[in-house]
Amino acid sequence: MNLLPFWSLSGEARELGLVVGVLIGFGFGFVLERAGFGRATKLAGQFYGTDMTVLKVMFGAIVTAMLGTVVLSGLGLMDLRAVADFATSSTFLWPMIIGGFALGVGFIVSGYCPGTSMVAMASGKWDGLMAVVGVIVGQVAWTSIEHLPAVARLQNGSDLGHVYLYDLLHLPPKVGPAVVALAVSAMAIGAFLGAQKIQEIVRRMVALPADTGSPSTARLVFAGFAAFAVVGLATVAVPTGSAASQKQAGALTPLQLARRVLDEPWKVRVIDVRPMAECAASRVPGAECVPAADLAKLGLADANGARELILVGGAGATAVPAAAAAYPGRIAMLAGGFPAWASFALTAPEVPAPGAGPEALENYRLRAGIAAAMTGVKAAPPPPVPVGDPGAPKKKSGGGGCGG
Amino acid sequence: MKRDPDKFWNPYLAGVALGLVLLASISVMGMGLGASGASLRMGVAALGAVAPAFVERTPGLARAWNHGSPFDFWLSFEVLGVLLGGFVGAYTSGRLKAETLRGPSFPKGKRLLLALVGGIIMGAAARVTRGCTSGQALSGGALMSVGAWAFMFSVFAGGYATAWFVRKEWR
Repeated sequence: MNLLPFWSLSGEARELGLVVGVLIGFGFGFVLERAGFGRATKLAGQFYGTDMTVLKVMFGAIVTAMLGTVVLSGLGLMDLRAVADFATSSTFLWPMIIGGFALGVGFIVSGYCPGTSMVAMASGKWDGLMAVVGVIVGQVAWTSIEHLPAVARLQNGSDLGHVYLYDLLHLPPKVGPAVVALAVSAMAIGAFLGAQKIQEIVRRMVALPADTGSPSTARLVFAGFAAFAVVGLATVAVPTGSAASQKQAGALTPLQLARRVLDEPWKVRVIDVRPMAECAASRVPGAECVPAADLAKLGLADANGARELILVGGAGATAVPAAAAAYPGRIAMLAGGFPAWASFALTAPEVPAPGAGPEALENYRLRAGIAAAMTGVKAAPPPPVPVGDPGAPKKKSGGGGCGG
Repeated sequence: MKRDPDKFWNPYLAGVALGLVLLASISVMGMGLGASGASLRMGVAALGAVAPAFVERTPGLARAWNHGSPFDFWLSFEVLGVLLGGFVGAYTSGRLKAETLRGPSFPKGKRLLLALVGGIIMGAAARVTRGCTSGQALSGGALMSVGAWAFMFSVFAGGYATAWFVRKEWR
């Protein structure tokens, strides 16, 4: 998946990963400084139309990295969706819109964003130091109120899961990212030209000297973007084995499946591929009954890949049917198939013996809760935990409580 | 090499350079760039040193606290690199100087206060958005996350909506 996934390794490789982290950070900080991002007065110019550097550098960086990842994944060197699932957060639409607006307010008030304030601090700017301190204080303060219901509602609403621009297009999995990258490149070049025009007009209005930059350099960079966008599209034709055949289907335990079905049913699409009669008799809540032979009719290859596809088969089913393997999103198989589900979620667990350890009791409560939720039958309560003196009920000293 | 504090890289070339750093981070580490994540861990570690009881009984803080030392965290090393890179960049360009950047007629104390207040707003917002302009807009944007793009346009909207009210800070 990644060329060198240090992050998941331990021991020496992890230390090497941390060294690479310092090197990557060094490049990040150095480039930001040289672009002028260590100076609040230059950054702020973006919001007064006098200096469009922020837009140019940010969009330039996004387009460059986007084209790079699209070409790498087109050549089969990277699994774009898997990398993105790991490297990005899921889309919390409204929190991101509201929080983004607030972050923009903080940006123009402080003159920095969190990353550039660190560069400013490192280059001796007192205002940069204050912004760094502010970001730390703001984060800690907000984190300490995150558990309040009103805050949690704001912060965790509209969770759409991992959804990408190419998911919105309903294109074949290999074509989508390349098309989006091409469109974003074209949009960015348009934005650059428009921003340059605005900057010229505003600078003339406020009597600042013109700053045309270097038109030949701009043309060169734009031509480079166009060339790589075309290369990205061309890789669609490269027969690297489609994304589908490279993709490994994960295996879910019945407990993991129960958690998803109960906690986040909108993030999964469960398909029961057993014969229709068996599925009709009993199935995982929310599952669609589609016998394996009929899977092709669903057109999964062209479906939106935002939800995880979970396949439930018979006891021995481990291979993902070809018609499902073309699904653009993540795919998982229920380990042990429906029989494993039935014995886990549809059967009341053994009541633990009196005096069982807290772990056994906790496990029992979980299993009983799942079985009750899935079958509608309440399980027996677990045996009480023996306390010091079982004979005499404790009498509270003093009053207290509502009846006090 | 002549040091000229007023000379910056061409913004398009700087963008490509930044994009290559980001691409290296994504392809080598499988992660994007970040900034605000490390601040939280540092802040919680500092708070935990003076008020451990408060940290332990506050769910969000306790979670960050239980992740361990901020020095056992990839982003902290990346941020250390950012500080070094920023320092070297400023030193070699002649911009390394203790000063407070502000508009010509804006008082220094007020500028420092606004930098702090803006930072606090950004810190809180970065929690709501699961990342700041580095982690969310740059990294998420390059990987085409829908939320990252919504975030990015919102940041610009917030900046432009407020710019008029703080114009004296800058000119």
